[in-house]
Amino acid sequence: MTWLSWRQFRTQALVAGAALLVVAAYLVVLGLRIRDTDAGGLMRYQSKLYLLDALVIIVPGLAGMFWGAPLVARELETGTHRFVWAQSVSRRRWLAVKLLVVTGAAVLATGLLSALLTWAAAPYDTVAGDRFSALLFGTRNLAPAAYAAFAVLLGATLGLLLRRTLPAMALTFVLFTAVQVAVPLAVRPHLGTPVTASQPVTAAVVRELRFLSSDADIEGLRVHGGWVVRTSKLLAPDGRRVDQDRYDSCVLRTPETVGECLEALDLHVSADYFPADRYWRFQGLESLLYLTAAALLALLSRWRIRRA
Amino acid sequence: MPSDTEPVILAENLSKSYRGRPALTGCDLRVPRGRIVGLVGPNGAGKSTLLQLVCGLIEPSSGRLTVLGARPAGTLSRVGFVAQETPLYSGLTVAEHLRLGARLNPRWDAALARRRVEQAGLPPGQKAGRLSGGQRAQLALTIAAAKRPELLVLDEPAAALDPLARDGFLRHLVGSVREAGATAILSSHLLPDIERACDHLIVLSGARVRLAGDVADLLAGHGSATLEELVLAVLR
Repeated sequence: MTWLSWRQFRTQALVAGAALLVVAAYLVVLGLRIRDTDAGGLMRYQSKLYLLDALVIIVPGLAGMFWGAPLVARELETGTHRFVWAQSVSRRRWLAVKLLVVTGAAVLATGLLSALLTWAAAPYDTVAGDRFSALLFGTRNLAPAAYAAFAVLLGATLGLLLRRTLPAMALTFVLFTAVQVAVPLAVRPHLGTPVTASQPVTAAVVRELRFLSSDADIEGLRVHGGWVVRTSKLLAPDGRRVDQDRYDSCVLRTPETVGECLEALDLHVSADYFPADRYWRFQGLESLLYLTAAALLALLSRWRIRRA
Repeated sequence: MPSDTEPVILAENLSKSYRGRPALTGCDLRVPRGRIVGLVGPNGAGKSTLLQLVCGLIEPSSGRLTVLGARPAGTLSRVGFVAQETPLYSGLTVAEHLRLGARLNPRWDAALARRRVEQAGLPPGQKAGRLSGGQRAQLALTIAAAKRPELLVLDEPAAALDPLARDGFLRHLVGSVREAGATAILSSHLLPDIERACDHLIVLSGARVRLAGDVADLLAGHGSATLEELVLAVLR
């Protein structure tokens, strides 16, 4: 059965393998060049790394659409299931081997890509210090491989339920994208309990902010390497909200001097955040979450194949 | 192994419906060992449904079905099946199909498979998608036969063959089933094919069994001279 699964998957695997080889070679070269650059010059790799991040983001979805969705649907569509299920191998075994071969390949390919990108971008990521950001968290270390396992099983299960390749591919794309958007927004912040601490609002901090609202809310506070999930309004040293008149007199100045003006007020905010050392816990938990979802889909398709 | 007297197929009040639409209703059957069974009936009579139930591809909605003394899903390695339109992997070659058969079937008879492929003149390097309908049928039958099944199930196996090829195909089928001491059940809407190959007959119509038994007994019992007369009399 392994032979048949491999034989059916061979062409796609070789094409993907060749593409992977090209990208891997490029990542090695890029990683070496980044290591030859001093910290000050790292910014010029930003756009290249964004492109590579985008690649690692879409690879699991592609695996789900092009490897997962047709895996069973194509057989049901062309009728070959009536041929292969008439051999002496049970359907459950047939399905298990197919799923293992293709999921294994997708996890391996995505894992390798993620590992290489993590290595290549490491000096840049260290300086940037935002590996908790939605973009970097989902494109480094373990998480992408778990996404790939989930995507392939989502595709295969939808293919089994819908029995048609194209609708299964389309729905795989839609659902997988929805999950990838929903998890960082709605699930990831609940994978742990944040710590609450007071953060001084210096001129340097203000320059990094994305937004200062008219009623003293801030957006974009960063704690190096950590992940801020909530910030209070700007607070005066006595712990009460900053005086509106004094705040207004600072923020209505020319942008360059806002930071110094606010710093002079000796302000702080109370922030809920996950410190940098929680990173691996989050990577582990999120990977586990996706792998559990993948395992549940495998069980669902194992049950459904009997009645297909 | 079932004893000689135990029926190969035993159905009791067997029914199958698809979303409430009956495809087979209250079917009672008892097919003895060693027969070549012809399954006839108009399109939509339930022939494919019965055959797919027998080889465990689908499950009954109600009633009981025993094949070779067991539940159909548990007899995979002892039943050979050639589905309608003989689906094969179009991207795999003839030789790769034989390899697939060898890998997926513990009792695979490689010598038989090779011999049959040669006799049928199938080029081993040809992809199945580029074979003619007749060649595909030959390949599908070869794979089903090389499994060394005790029961061979064929759904319209000769439909894609021209008359000459059909004659050779049926003769070969009968020969290999007799030689192996197996049982075969094949559906067809071509009565002459059934008449030539089969010694047991099941007539289906409107999702029900209208007639079943050994051909000789049926002809004697109904006073018909030919199988065609008999079947038409039953279906009218």
